[in-house]
Amino acid sequence: MIANTLTVILILAGLVFFAAGTAGLLRFPDVYSRLHALTKADNVGLGLVILGLMLQAAGPADILKLLLIWVLVLAAGTTAAHMVAQRTWTHGEFESDR
Amino acid sequence: MSNLLLVIFDLVLLAGLLGVAWRCLASTDLFRAVVLFITFGLLLALAWVRLEAPDIALAEAAIGAGITGALLLVTLERLRSIAVERRRGRPDQPPDPAGADALLHALHDPPPPRRTFVPALSFALVVGGLMVTALWHQPDAVGLEPVVDEHMGVSGVDHPITAVLLNFRAYDTFLELAIVLIALLGAWSLGRYDRLPARPAPGPILPGTLRLLVPVAIVTGVYILWAGSHAPGGAFQAGAILGAAGILLVLARPRDLPMAPSTPLRLGLTAGVGLFLAIGIVGLFIGPGLLGYPPEWAYPLIIVIEIAATLSIALTLVALFIAGRPAGDDH
Repeated sequence: MIANTLTVILILAGLVFFAAGTAGLLRFPDVYSRLHALTKADNVGLGLVILGLMLQAAGPADILKLLLIWVLVLAAGTTAAHMVAQRTWTHGEFESDR
Repeated sequence: MSNLLLVIFDLVLLAGLLGVAWRCLASTDLFRAVVLFITFGLLLALAWVRLEAPDIALAEAAIGAGITGALLLVTLERLRSIAVERRRGRPDQPPDPAGADALLHALHDPPPPRRTFVPALSFALVVGGLMVTALWHQPDAVGLEPVVDEHMGVSGVDHPITAVLLNFRAYDTFLELAIVLIALLGAWSLGRYDRLPARPAPGPILPGTLRLLVPVAIVTGVYILWAGSHAPGGAFQAGAILGAAGILLVLARPRDLPMAPSTPLRLGLTAGVGLFLAIGIVGLFIGPGLLGYPPEWAYPLIIVIEIAATLSIALTLVALFIAGRPAGDDH
């Protein structure tokens, strides 16, 4: 019961972060602030969702798998954000970005 | 309650699929269209999960969204760089409507509006009507599931999908592998590779991440290959994951491509089709027929074929990404 309640709370909190990140992606004016909104919010959002799901996992193997998913998304997201920012810094924004 | 939630989820997913597909087709910006295509592939993978087909979901996410997306993106960048280079070569000449300028124009500018609405609508109505009619008269068949379940004992594996793919319908899988190989031969027959249009990413971030991610990708690929005999997974998914790792390595060092020497590379590329065919022909002579295995040998033979196929698929996908024969190879 406590675990279920905690799961709902954690996943809802994660969804709030996802919504905020998406709103930032859509509404912020340039590439850097959009990246800021997207990566920060999605990483925390996904982390909260994963924490919530861990409480429902069947055993330690599932918990580790969920943790691995989060770490891999963190690594990939960070790198992708860095590369997009680097591209923008050296070459300017795409025309369709504005 | 939970059923209702799932129905709502499915409806949202369907709407998302249709919306993304429409935006992808209607987009006048090719880069945006490719990104939307990748998004479409990921949503489609979710739809396959909802249809309880995790094998197809894995393949769709890895090949349909991931690898195809990478191929489309590199093609777009290549076209752009070819067009820019050609135009730079003769700046004083008038624009050539059929040549590089047309390519650049197509890549950058939206096409002129055309009156295609009525033909498109009538086409969609006719095709949709035909599909509805075909589905309407579908007999209430149970499908092939009982037949497959009945013969799992002689298949050599514990996962029905793998049993169908590599034993009962091995012919189809063999032809799929052959098509992947033919695609590469087509790309190679067009010439040697010119360097990728990508610039090396400055800074230590990408190489550092790859040093972490590539071993994980290799472990995941081998795990998915091994899992294929008793759970969702198999050669195509594993090959796509390993191929993606190879593409990332290529992207990290686009100037000096780490190409394998010619003979081992060719052996690796053809290993899947070659071994599959060899084992299949042996089956023709020792009893079970072309591409059939004796039941007691089925498991080891399937594993051998899957390993070779994984290697071939991974190498072929990387080679397709680079596009073109290895340099210094003029045979």
